[in-house]
Amino acid sequence: MADLEIINLHVRTEEREILHGVSLQVNKGETHALMGPNGSGKSTLANVLMGNDTYEVTEGQIIFNGEDITGEDPEKRSQAGLFLAFQYPAVIPGVSVANFLRMAVNAHRDEPINVKEFRDKLKTNMDLLTVPREFTSRYLNDGFSGGEKKRAEILQMAMLEPTISILDETDSGLDIDALRVVSEGVNALRERGMGSLIITHYQRILDYIKPDFVHILLEGRIVEEGGPELVAKLEEHGYDWIREEVAQRAG
Amino acid sequence: MPAEQTRISPADAGRTVAGPSAIASDRKAALAAYESAPVPTWRRSGFWTTTLRDLDLESLSPREYPAVSSREELPQVVRDAIGDEQYAGLIVQRGASVIYTETSAGNPDGVIACTLEQAFDQHPELVAKYYGKRVSSEEGKFTAANAAMWTGGAFFYVPPDTSVEQPFQVINVIDEPGVAQYGRLLAIVDTSGKATFREFDLAPDIDGQALHAGVTEVFARPNSWAKVKTLQDWGAGEIFDVSTKRVEIARDAHARWFPVHLGGHLTKQTLDIVTAERGADMRHNGLYITQGNEHLDLFTTDLHESGDTTGDTVWKGAATGSSKASYEGLIEIREGCQNSHTYLQTHSLMLSKEAKVDAIPSLIVKTDDVSASHGGTVGEVDENQVFYMRTRGISREDAIRILVEGFFDPVIGGFEDERLEQLVRQRIAGKLAEASEDIAAYAATK
Ligand SMILES: Nc1ncnc2c1ncn2[C@@H]1O[C@H](COP(=O)(O)OP(=O)(O)OP(=O)(O)O)[C@@H](O)[C@H]1O
Ligand SMILES: [Mg+2]
Repeated sequence: MADLEIINLHVRTEEREILHGVSLQVNKGETHALMGPNGSGKSTLANVLMGNDTYEVTEGQIIFNGEDITGEDPEKRSQAGLFLAFQYPAVIPGVSVANFLRMAVNAHRDEPINVKEFRDKLKTNMDLLTVPREFTSRYLNDGFSGGEKKRAEILQMAMLEPTISILDETDSGLDIDALRVVSEGVNALRERGMGSLIITHYQRILDYIKPDFVHILLEGRIVEEGGPELVAKLEEHGYDWIREEVAQRAG
Repeated sequence: MPAEQTRISPADAGRTVAGPSAIASDRKAALAAYESAPVPTWRRSGFWTTTLRDLDLESLSPREYPAVSSREELPQVVRDAIGDEQYAGLIVQRGASVIYTETSAGNPDGVIACTLEQAFDQHPELVAKYYGKRVSSEEGKFTAANAAMWTGGAFFYVPPDTSVEQPFQVINVIDEPGVAQYGRLLAIVDTSGKATFREFDLAPDIDGQALHAGVTEVFARPNSWAKVKTLQDWGAGEIFDVSTKRVEIARDAHARWFPVHLGGHLTKQTLDIVTAERGADMRHNGLYITQGNEHLDLFTTDLHESGDTTGDTVWKGAATGSSKASYEGLIEIREGCQNSHTYLQTHSLMLSKEAKVDAIPSLIVKTDDVSASHGGTVGEVDENQVFYMRTRGISREDAIRILVEGFFDPVIGGFEDERLEQLVRQRIAGKLAEASEDIAAYAATK
């Protein structure tokens, strides 16, 4: 069984079903890309994997490290090693980045981290992601630019060292240099064994972080799977050919 | 404990009422005014009422307590608040009695920290210049009560061109039911001086009723710097607090006032900051958190009596349980006060379905050529933020606490006072823990 196993997941909001039976497997050390047009359900999947209860899972299962976490609390999933870098991270006014990181790190341990260990770890990761020093004293995401928010997400990921990370459009909003730096950060964690599911619209991030597998989500279903060659094909032709194929398959 | 106390019966209140001889006749008049005035009810715009209907005034009286000679003998709630902090002056008033006084040997020449009674005795001219000049006994039943019946009291004075680093601190403590406490603070930082004045009103969770009717007057003389920190935490007992506090800022002087309201059964306070002369500058940053069935009614005025003055008022409050909190903030700019600039903001956070918060900023401006603005928000804990934090491993309960602390952080950070900051953070965390189920249930409905 894969480290993260999504089995026939059906998800709905009060109004309608958004995911119609999604299955996907991600192992530690693997990099998966998830692509698909706007509104196809990518962020919904990411949120459901983290336990956002505005969505209801009506069928299917999420298995993480062999345990069924379909109904588990978000904090338990995080503590178990699952991470989501949000497409639209929340603003947390009045809580500095450094403070927030310390609280998050402590939430993953029995004993609070000692001051020096935390400081060293923070410094290492800030260097890795070339985050400026003054960043850590600002209130988390409060008045951050789009790119700064994405960097703050990746800084959190680096500090929490998850086993599987979902990156929801982390590339959008990042300038070219920031994209390279963030990608290098992800690659460094991948070398330490982290698996990832990278949600994106663009080939560019996948040039830096080479995916092992590519999945295409269309209207709440995975309709195409393959290797990196799929990305190039999408970049060139868009989604129409997939829509046609799906229509043909449906006959 | 009961063996130690002396109850002052109305019959022998004579000594109390006489007070310092300089104001004996004023006190008599004030007592008459107090006795003839009806118990007030404060109504605003029809739907907000603060009433003392449930207060059994007749059953309360000032109480005297013996002095103690060391910090170790002070009531627990006082010891918790002061820790091992060093003060330029410390005065602890329990009921009607100042039970403990401490002054720092290192104070510069001319600095005074003593009871107000002693000040009337030893510094009559100085006291006469300021006493009652900003809060008149004629403002209402309870300022009259205070003028007539205060005993003990605190007097802090910093002479011209003198800067005092350590804070001056008065603590009013009520630690049993039946007490009527008339606390009085008079604090002056003279020309080009610098000082921090703190007033804490504290009680353990008493079982029964008590009253605190305090009057506080602070004067920041020309070109001086005053920091004023007033903290109210009356615990869970039935303590009624009807107090008036006023800070006057003279020419080119600066004052920062941080009022903190952490608890009280029913509170009606008038908190005014007056930029009285040109160049006067003030900042007024308050916070409150209410719980249970507490009732908090605050009325602040940013009063400009002169032109070329500046003001900046920010209040933040949160309400849990079935508590009610009303903050009314008035900016008043008198005639002829050109070139005054001020603004007022109030932000409140509702943490429970049954809680009520009401924030009313208002303006009375009688001069052209000024800038005065106000604004306010009422918010709730946002479930999106809570979810975000939970995905970082933080429990729902902690997430809410962190968010509320974050809401207050800009005010608390502004104290520039580690001791106060620590006290306030600790108390807020405690209150949120007590209310956590209620708060979580409410957030989940959003
Ligand atoms: N909480 C919600 N309530 C109602 N509808 C929702 C909710 N969340 C998502 N949807 C709807 O579900 C569909 C999928 O949305 P989702 O955000 O998952 O798409 P996406 O693939 O991430 O799109 P994008 O590429 O634009 O980020 C959309 O039609 C969206 O409007
Ligand atoms: Mg999305």
